[in-house]
Amino acid sequence: MVTSSVSTSPYLRDPDVQLMLRVKDGDDSAFAQIVERFQNRLIGIFTNMFADNALAEDLSQEVFLRIYRARQGYEPTAKLSTWIFQIANNLASNSRRSKGRKKEVQFKVSNSGSQPVQMGENNVVEKSGLMPTRQLDNVELMERVQVALLDLNERQRMAVLLHRFEGMSYADIGAAMELSPQAVKSLLSRARENLREILENYVT
Amino acid sequence: MEKLSRLSTEDRENLSAYLDGELDDGGTQRIETLLVQSSVARNDVELLSKTYDLLDELPRPDAPKDFLEKTLATAKMEQVKHPISEQQWFITTQKMLILSGWTVALVVASAIGFMVTNQYVERPDDALIQELPLIQNLDRYEEVQSVEFLDLLTADEKLMEEMRKATSYEQK
Repeated sequence: MVTSSVSTSPYLRDPDVQLMLRVKDGDDSAFAQIVERFQNRLIGIFTNMFADNALAEDLSQEVFLRIYRARQGYEPTAKLSTWIFQIANNLASNSRRSKGRKKEVQFKVSNSGSQPVQMGENNVVEKSGLMPTRQLDNVELMERVQVALLDLNERQRMAVLLHRFEGMSYADIGAAMELSPQAVKSLLSRARENLREILENYVT
Repeated sequence: MEKLSRLSTEDRENLSAYLDGELDDGGTQRIETLLVQSSVARNDVELLSKTYDLLDELPRPDAPKDFLEKTLATAKMEQVKHPISEQQWFITTQKMLILSGWTVALVVASAIGFMVTNQYVERPDDALIQELPLIQNLDRYEEVQSVEFLDLLTADEKLMEEMRKATSYEQK
């Protein structure tokens, strides 16, 4: 049921919000569409957040389950993507607290054998189709970028991923991470400078 | 780092926001002026931009083929596992209904109690209330002294007629 205040919500123009309203009304096919639309985006963010494919899939699934559980009380007070990435951010924070930084340390110590690197390697090969020597360079570069990203603190990393992967504005990132746009601006600026310090030598 | 130290924190933040298209017109103009005037700022902006572009090298894995199916099945299973009576909204509503029920019962019981008490239980004041008209006219009754005297007065038709006239005159 859409209340009178909600019926005038500007977010009703968001097609994802329309899908979520259908989910609220019991349409499970709409929920499937939401999962399809966001699954790769969430897995991409979580994978680069934790350098762990299995964890990324578990967390992504948990995001969708939370959305499904909350469907009855859903009100379109923001873009659906903002809500979804807000849940993702909360889950990432909780996951960090419960699991510590074990995965990240593991990744840094053993770059060559870690799962994300293997997965990334396949990605690069598939996308570029370049010669083997050049492919190796790209793999190395990807590893360096991954390490540089993992060197950022967790909030900077999430902000960078939402900004770069999702193309979210400072205001939307702020809404998802419960920060002011000014705080996001500072966060991203520091993240950019940290990345520059680490990656400066890899820029041509 | 030497180059960086020559720009203020605010300038560095604004350079980053400029690259992201997040500055208002005034801020954009200030940064563009700075870029024209400062080779440090130009170098800064170029490096910030290029290193940030390297993030495109990060892997963007697709979800496994069965991810959707598994997620939908888990969601459905959770729904089965948590029948309506275990869902939070139901529990909350149930609690509120119980609370409302008890409140209504309390109010009704209080009202019935008041009515019963008022109706059937005698209080010392009841006799006084009942005899109120008598008490209010006690002085007159005392002046009259006896009922027989009143009977004699009412038997006198002329006197009664005069009293009626006097009363109606006073009312006018």
